[in-house]
Amino acid sequence: MDKFIEVINLTYSYRPGNGNEVKALNGINMKVFKGEFLAVTGQNGSGKSTLARHFNGLLKPRSGNVLVGGFSILDKNRLAEIRKMIGMVFQNPDNQLVSSIVEEDVAFGPENLGLPPETIRSRVGWALETLNIENLRRESPNNLSEGQKQLVAIAGVLAMKPECIVLDEPTTHLDPRSRRELLEIIIRLNREEGITIILLTHFMKEVVFCDRMIVMDLGEIKISGTPHEVFEKTTEIVRLGLDFPVATQLAAGLRGKGLKLPGNIITTEELIAQLCLLK
Amino acid sequence: MELTKNITLGVYLPGETVIHRLDPRTKIIIASVLIILLLMIKSYPAYAVILTFLSAVIFMSGIPLSYALCGLKPMLPVLILMWVFQLFLYSNPDSKVIFSFWIFTATDSGMHMGNLISLRVIFLFTVTTILTLTTSMVSLTDGLESLLNPLRKFGLPIQELVMTMVIALRFVLILAEELDKIVKAQMARGVAFDRGNFIQKTKKLFPVFLPLFINAFKRAEELIVAMEARSYTGGKGRTKMKTLQMSRVDLGAGFVMLIFSAIVVLLIITIKPQI
Ligand SMILES: Nc1ncnc2c1ncn2[C@@H]1O[C@H](COP(=O)(O)OP(=O)(O)OP(=O)(O)O)[C@@H](O)[C@H]1O
Ligand SMILES: [Mg+2]
Repeated sequence: MDKFIEVINLTYSYRPGNGNEVKALNGINMKVFKGEFLAVTGQNGSGKSTLARHFNGLLKPRSGNVLVGGFSILDKNRLAEIRKMIGMVFQNPDNQLVSSIVEEDVAFGPENLGLPPETIRSRVGWALETLNIENLRRESPNNLSEGQKQLVAIAGVLAMKPECIVLDEPTTHLDPRSRRELLEIIIRLNREEGITIILLTHFMKEVVFCDRMIVMDLGEIKISGTPHEVFEKTTEIVRLGLDFPVATQLAAGLRGKGLKLPGNIITTEELIAQLCLLK
Repeated sequence: MELTKNITLGVYLPGETVIHRLDPRTKIIIASVLIILLLMIKSYPAYAVILTFLSAVIFMSGIPLSYALCGLKPMLPVLILMWVFQLFLYSNPDSKVIFSFWIFTATDSGMHMGNLISLRVIFLFTVTTILTLTTSMVSLTDGLESLLNPLRKFGLPIQELVMTMVIALRFVLILAEELDKIVKAQMARGVAFDRGNFIQKTKKLFPVFLPLFINAFKRAEELIVAMEARSYTGGKGRTKMKTLQMSRVDLGAGFVMLIFSAIVVLLIITIKPQI
């Protein structure tokens, strides 16, 4: 696979220079490949959001560099292009919607790109259709549920036709059901539209569907690999304050009761398949 | 929600009437012309003509009359007070005395002055109410942006100003909801907002507005980041999805307005002012 984002020795600190400097990132090296689904996890304050905000140049490295599609985020002339390639969805849907009409909000990004009106209209229609929220077109975001608002926020990013979408804990404000639905849509965008997904999350349920994941702590990448590889490192996961997926926990419990289950179970499907093999 | 229910500013009654379908620019221009005419009128016949015109517009727009006028109710005490003041305080040399007691003298010119000013306020209010009742805030801002666009040549940041208005419109409701929540939370802790003298009451508002402001700033910061992430760099190079388009209806409305204004101006010139 082609590499799309490359992070080289990235260091960042908030409030540098005075007494209470916060070192948020500490020599990060990583790559994101075209078309992959990457999950980033870690405890509160581990530096996930800070890292994500470097991908489209919202923050500038104190040292090191980030290359997106070969362009450095330090290159001012390329910043517009980079922001076009990488869309970003944030935690609180209320604070990222601009207009009082859904359709106009979705149009906000394309309008900023200076596209002709017809193109904007067709993109807005396409984004709303892709996310199945055509019926909300004329609504005001104030009348929508949190889950619907978050979908509108994603539609607004989608309408810019980015190659990659970064989602910073997009499901925090949602109930379990909307959470599941949103995750399904994210997976669909990845598989059907070929959009590279970077998902920052606390929920191990969401992590298990990714191609690759990284675990951060204290501004460093502690573990990276496929979910199967990562969740095998049991002691480290516990030390980094993370949970295990429900299926993994359940499998461990059953193993304790004497069932002979393999150690690399992370999804419910895998657990069921292994349980069926037992008899 | 109790607090937002009382915000009648900019209430919009959706509809499909001719008035609703007019281009927002046409409506803004017509309303402005009406306001200018109202400021020049000084005789009853001219007001009668305006009244006929506005009645026709209200009828065509399908707005219930009670709805169009209910906003006037809170203004009534002020209007009456103003009328009384004019009645006793205004007079010109050849005005007749209606009655007098103690040091007050009511003159006919004072009464006319009171009438005219009251009528002016009521009509100004009605014109703006019709405009906002039949035009959504979003199309109003669109229309305003388009009309003010030429001023950009003089270095005025029109697009940015309008964007600020758009955002303000979206967050007014959110902040009102938040205010409601904070007030309820404080009441749950036993704060009685309706008790005490003026200073005590004012003091109780601090714990309400402080968190509101802090939250507002936090929201603003997050919104700026989100807008920047969506490639917003100010008005330059931006296009719009919706392009406003004048239709034949607008042409017709413009024509009607032209004739109407001519009549009113004629009345203003020919009829001797009441005062
Ligand atoms: N604006 C800021 N000013 C100062 N320090 C900050 C700021 N934002 C984050 N930090 C600090 O930087 C560190 C990394 O924060 P970051 O938000 O990147 O973590 P995170 O992994 O996204 O956490 P969370 O799961 O809570 O979102 C934390 O110690 C945090 O306190
Ligand atoms: Mg974060």
